[in-house]
Amino acid sequence: MLGIRSIASYLPKGRVDNLEQADRFETDREFVEQKIGVSSLPRFEAKDSVVSASVSAFKSLCEKESVDPAEIECVVLCTQNPDNGGLPHNSALVHAELGLSEDCACFDIGLGCSGYVYGLSVIQSFMAANSMKKGLLFTCDPYSRILNPEDKNTCLLFGDAASVTLISDTPRYILSSAKFATKGSGSAALQKNDNLLEMNGRAVFNFALQDVPKQIKRVLENAELTMDSVDIFLLHQGSRFMLENVIKRAGMPAEKAPIRLSSTGNTISSSIPLLLETELNGNPKTILMSGFGVGLSWATAIYTQVK
Amino acid sequence: MNREEAVKIVMSMLEKNVDGLEMSDDKMDKTLVDIGVDSLDVMLVIMDVGEAAGITISDDQAEILDTPEKIVEFIAKQ
Repeated sequence: MLGIRSIASYLPKGRVDNLEQADRFETDREFVEQKIGVSSLPRFEAKDSVVSASVSAFKSLCEKESVDPAEIECVVLCTQNPDNGGLPHNSALVHAELGLSEDCACFDIGLGCSGYVYGLSVIQSFMAANSMKKGLLFTCDPYSRILNPEDKNTCLLFGDAASVTLISDTPRYILSSAKFATKGSGSAALQKNDNLLEMNGRAVFNFALQDVPKQIKRVLENAELTMDSVDIFLLHQGSRFMLENVIKRAGMPAEKAPIRLSSTGNTISSSIPLLLETELNGNPKTILMSGFGVGLSWATAIYTQVK
Repeated sequence: MNREEAVKIVMSMLEKNVDGLEMSDDKMDKTLVDIGVDSLDVMLVIMDVGEAAGITISDDQAEILDTPEKIVEFIAKQ
């Protein structure tokens, strides 16, 4: 059986002081710290790329887990802001940098904030269907490439990061239950126009508060679990205000749903793995993760610890 | 919906979602910004008011509802 073995991440050295940005946008500093919940943002520097950040995440993985590159049979990379416009697919470039075997499947998937939950299911399913034992799921979506410097709604929110998850036939966590959903009719809420990100904050907020809690409850019902029987809820870290209200509306115990974006911001598909990397240290038995955003797309999954 | 019900919904949703806000009649015509409702609170208030009143408030409609009184008038008309 395949599942999550280990996770590592990479935050670029570049930093944007979000309170200085608040001043520039004539926005209250307290609003930025308390409501948006972000004090500083990791930003790609000129030397950073999706491929280099992914490779750095992999190096970090190798420091905590014994990984034999020769055993990697699958690489999936989730991004909507790839290097070279996505041609070639960035997973192939990572494959080259890591010196992986030619007997290795590589492909990218283009999803935003739901990408990690989707990506886990995609890579595990693909590997299972093809009798593979070890694979890597990368996330890296540098929104700094598409931010409009004059748009405070997005500049104050998004950070750059990368993660890698080792999928293994000797897993620590396996998928128990999941749901995936799309509301394509609402896709204009988050879109790229003239190569710049446009976000309708109200539409995204309404979507997150109205649709995500329902899906979380459905996944729990399908798994015959209650909120109390989940050890940790890992929600996409969109903004503090949005998270607090999704948590309230879903009826989650707030102490089990970490809000941790003060020094990362919203890192798109990397936000859940950044949380998960830390939370795995506490050996939770049951993990619920929910990603939601661009698409509009949302996905919720429950992973359970292998005994 | 009659006006009395609409006022009750709007006042209660404002107080529920905005820390420290106590509504009174003299605040009904003030702008939401002036009574301490920030841009994020506004989104939550409009959503909760719509749900409590059983109506959908579109983005365009929400944009012009910048005082408690305007919200009351809007939902009372539905």
